[in-house]
Amino acid sequence: MKLLLVRTAYLVLIVLVSSVAVFYAIRLSGGDAVAAVIQPGSASLEARDQLRELWGLNLPIHEQYLTYMGNLLRGDPGNSLTNSTPIVNMLVIHGRHSLILGGAAFVLVFGLGVPLGILASLRRNSVVDASIMSFSVAGMAVPNFWLALLAVWLFASTLHWLPTAGCCSPRHLVLPAVVLAMEGLALTVRMTRSAMLENLERDFVRTLRAGGLSEFRVIGRHVLRNALIPVVSLAGLRIGQIVGYALVVETIFGWPGLGQVLVNAVLRRDYPVAQFFSLLLVALVVLGNWLADLGYLATNPRLRAGQLGV
Amino acid sequence: MVEPTSSHLEAWNARLLEYEESRRVGPVQAAFERMRRNKLLLLGSALGLVVLGAGVLGPIISGADPTVQSFSTTNQPPGFEGHLLGTDHLGRDLAVRTFVGIRVSLMVAAGVTLLSLVLGLLLGMVGGFLGGWRDRTIRGVVDFVWGFPLILVAVLFAGGLGEGLFPVILAVGLVNTAAIARVVRGEVLTLSEREFIEAARAGGLSTIRIMTKHLFPNILAPALVLASYYVAVAIIAEAALSFIGLGAQPPTPSLGGMVSDGRNFLQLNHWGSTIPGLTIVLLVLAVSLIGDGLRDVFDPRLRHEAKGVGEE
Repeated sequence: MKLLLVRTAYLVLIVLVSSVAVFYAIRLSGGDAVAAVIQPGSASLEARDQLRELWGLNLPIHEQYLTYMGNLLRGDPGNSLTNSTPIVNMLVIHGRHSLILGGAAFVLVFGLGVPLGILASLRRNSVVDASIMSFSVAGMAVPNFWLALLAVWLFASTLHWLPTAGCCSPRHLVLPAVVLAMEGLALTVRMTRSAMLENLERDFVRTLRAGGLSEFRVIGRHVLRNALIPVVSLAGLRIGQIVGYALVVETIFGWPGLGQVLVNAVLRRDYPVAQFFSLLLVALVVLGNWLADLGYLATNPRLRAGQLGV
Repeated sequence: MVEPTSSHLEAWNARLLEYEESRRVGPVQAAFERMRRNKLLLLGSALGLVVLGAGVLGPIISGADPTVQSFSTTNQPPGFEGHLLGTDHLGRDLAVRTFVGIRVSLMVAAGVTLLSLVLGLLLGMVGGFLGGWRDRTIRGVVDFVWGFPLILVAVLFAGGLGEGLFPVILAVGLVNTAAIARVVRGEVLTLSEREFIEAARAGGLSTIRIMTKHLFPNILAPALVLASYYVAVAIIAEAALSFIGLGAQPPTPSLGGMVSDGRNFLQLNHWGSTIPGLTIVLLVLAVSLIGDGLRDVFDPRLRHEAKGVGEE
């Protein structure tokens, strides 16, 4: 319990530190927000200064930070500089797309990864096992943007089965979700397989079999329960992985999620947007790591005794 | 009790070094023998030499400029009018661009490796050997950075420093630093209990001297092997970031950027995208084979450490 509190305090601390880091990094960057919005020569120096004042850019950075965090905690992250859209609206619209894509990838990672891993472990050293494992190795070795391109070339440009890019029908979702899930899927297959194999060889399995329990119940009830603990307890880490790759995959497939919003905001120097979504994604990753920590603690009773530091 | 004089310390230092040397020679020779027998390592090295050769010699031999455009001959297939691999959407020679792109990839990889190796060794050694609050602080920072997705960190850096190769090197280098520092720290903890470190302490050698003369030479080989593993990570990250427009900026040819340029013309001439794409895959394959091979040869124990986030 104490460890849980420590880890949670750590989570809050990390998010706070990150918010300061992100804020300062973006303010100190060379790009002038005013110059990014206004065409060169189209506004007088006074007008530019007025704009700076309007956006509060003339204040010292720490005051800007406190004002910003105050507004943020009251639920107002400000507006986009390029088209004045409230960032809250962007969060609602693009967040929904991100949730759909990330959720689909998450479901694929576990919904497909776990059964494939189980299948490979039960048919150990067979053709099935070999093909599943080769697929898994390939999934981890091929860079995902290259995989995305091959998939577009094959399924969209050549076979015309699926659209190349865009949003938002289920047909549009297939390619980005598969590409986004691929590495996590490959990892989950490997972890599930090795955890299953480890447990299949343990004494209690032999005892249960000797006791006359059907193979289905031995595996379904007992082996699986033990084998899935490490796989599921680390599910939080997959969140971070999906968030990171979403930045690339959403850009490739033109999927209008948060990743694409962040990349575009960085490219256009739209700093309120870049700042808010950087922070949001950082918080998501930290939350994922925290969940993985919790899972790890919950399934490793020895750690709960508290010998382990932060 | 006799206070150790500086000549005593020198003699003690020399004898310890001699001892450590004698313990190292055997395994190193055996390792070279194993290297010669490791087929994957040989294959990777051969592949790596070919790609490296293309990157280093290609632009010199062909003499063409990777940025010269020719709008009458755009999107041509390989072999067209002396263009070995054809031309891209602006009529630039694909072969030369690919060769220079390899150079860019390798330069980024070298920068990342140098940064992460130096910082990782420093942090890992200081934390692992000195312990205490230094260790706790370093571990806190390192664990935090380590759990982060590379691409997100790089996008944050691009937000702060602008697009380009420098923020990419910095971001990837720092994340890899965390990975290396973790392993180095673990190795240092194990080494600290070995008899020659104990002997160096007992002999009154200063902490700085123990760290630089006795710890460092023994930690360098495993750290190098581990760093070689992360070269592939650096190459992939640079390609991905250049692909989404945050890495190398035009007109610098970068493999990821070329894949991105070519994707709008997939049906017209897929080579513009597939050639740099395949080059990335080959490069990554070569580097991974070398990394895996070196790891098997020098330090089979590291097999677990280098597997990436979450595979515990």
